[in-house]
Amino acid sequence: MPDTAELIRRSKTGSGVNAPGADARLWIATAGKGGAGKSVLTGTLARVLARRGHRVLAIDSDTMPGLTQSLGVAEPETCALLGAAEKPEGGRWRLRPGVGPARIVSRFTTQAPDGIRLLQLGKADKDGLAPVAGAVSAFLDFVYRINEAESLRRWAIIGDLPAGPRHPGAGFSAYTRLYVVVVEPTSQSALTGRRIASLARNHLGADVLLVASKVANPAGRRRVERLLGEPVDLEIPLDPAVVRAEREEVAVFDAAPDAPVVRAVERLADAVQARTLGR
Amino acid sequence: MRIAVAGKGGAGKTTVSGTIARALGRAGHEVIAVDADVNPMLGISLGLGMDDTERLAAVRQGLDTGQTDHEPTIEGMLERFGADAPDGVRILVASRVDMPDSGCGCCATTADRLLGAVESEGRTVLGDLEAGTGVLARMKPGSLDVVLVVANPAPKAIEVARRAVETAVARDCRVIVVANRVKDAEDLEAIRAVLGDQEIVVICEDPIISQADAEGLAPIDLDAEAPGVLALVALGERLAAAPAHAG
Repeated sequence: MPDTAELIRRSKTGSGVNAPGADARLWIATAGKGGAGKSVLTGTLARVLARRGHRVLAIDSDTMPGLTQSLGVAEPETCALLGAAEKPEGGRWRLRPGVGPARIVSRFTTQAPDGIRLLQLGKADKDGLAPVAGAVSAFLDFVYRINEAESLRRWAIIGDLPAGPRHPGAGFSAYTRLYVVVVEPTSQSALTGRRIASLARNHLGADVLLVASKVANPAGRRRVERLLGEPVDLEIPLDPAVVRAEREEVAVFDAAPDAPVVRAVERLADAVQARTLGR
Repeated sequence: MRIAVAGKGGAGKTTVSGTIARALGRAGHEVIAVDADVNPMLGISLGLGMDDTERLAAVRQGLDTGQTDHEPTIEGMLERFGADAPDGVRILVASRVDMPDSGCGCCATTADRLLGAVESEGRTVLGDLEAGTGVLARMKPGSLDVVLVVANPAPKAIEVARRAVETAVARDCRVIVVANRVKDAEDLEAIRAVLGDQEIVVICEDPIISQADAEGLAPIDLDAEAPGVLALVALGERLAAAPAHAG
């Protein structure tokens, strides 16, 4: 299994992970209960992988705002994906002629730092998702047809799922090969983690990486493991830098690159690369 | 009276729902607690524990698997699929996602339809909603009397709460913002700055509630006199004393 430095070297020289024909996709979805830290981990992981030389597509399928801040980009006023869809008179929403997964990434995503592309489902307002129905339709077309795009084969695709098992259950995360299941030391978070891990392993054939989050002390990790009924793969510390960054509306990756939480996400990136590239 | 509890994931919806349901039950009200989240957790804060919560049958799956004859009435569903929690509270889990669902997750007996249909005359129906505003946006105007919008003092939770308030107001509901896990004046000010136009009830950060969540217990069972629990009991009394929805 190549170490991180080796992966970076190979990705930069194009002789390894990014070489034509190499199946170098990192398809990751971050899942867990609300408040466990999914968005912070997803956004920061995307930034870390992008800095390591991956071309990163970040998928935000939450109908509430969340991922933009930890990526370090402003929440777009209008959903970029709306432009990909059209609704013929009396018909249903569909992709505009000539628009497929690759075109969606190049034309209907938002640019984030480090070359990251952000694909967003669209946000709900008081009328629910009705105002962004076109974007929802395009989003589903995209995730179900993602394999068609040869040019996306070398991208790292990272999805931030909404709280709970609904999206993995509905197959909205069809791109996912590895679920990063984020669990904080509470009973509700652990039960959610158990459910998502079981769904991913037993029904979706995906690999699971269990992460204990918001760990304040060794007892926190032990509590997560006891409530989950199995050991976790790594832990992310409870870090005040996250709260500060949220209050200041900036990405923790930009505001505090040496914060313990960012260091921990670098270890998460190592684990993710090992699990997805090493097989 | 029909009450729904909404907010961002992790804001404390389930803890608020479970504790108010128990308090109303303890005070002698007939309470139907509807777990309207496909990731059902309400059993834990009602005091059933993690394992029994995991075993609760969900209405939709019971019907879908054909293990049971079609149940034509909501009251029948309550009878057959509901479970008893302490203080006389009856819990009904609307739906749970255990398997990849090739079809539409919105069909069959949905949380919003079920919550809107349980008879609320003479009893309290309390729905613990899924994170975000999806279920609320699908509720018909007039089907809910009160929406409790739970916000902890984090920017994203406050933004989700703002959207939930808009969604509830558009459906003619009385809205009460539950400012949850408030540690200091700065926390409360962060919530007031965005949601100050609404009726606000403050629940202070309470280590007993955190401990209950860590251990999978109902806060009201761990310490019924804890400040956070007492504040939720008082909110329950206030709801019970209010007249039903006036439209």
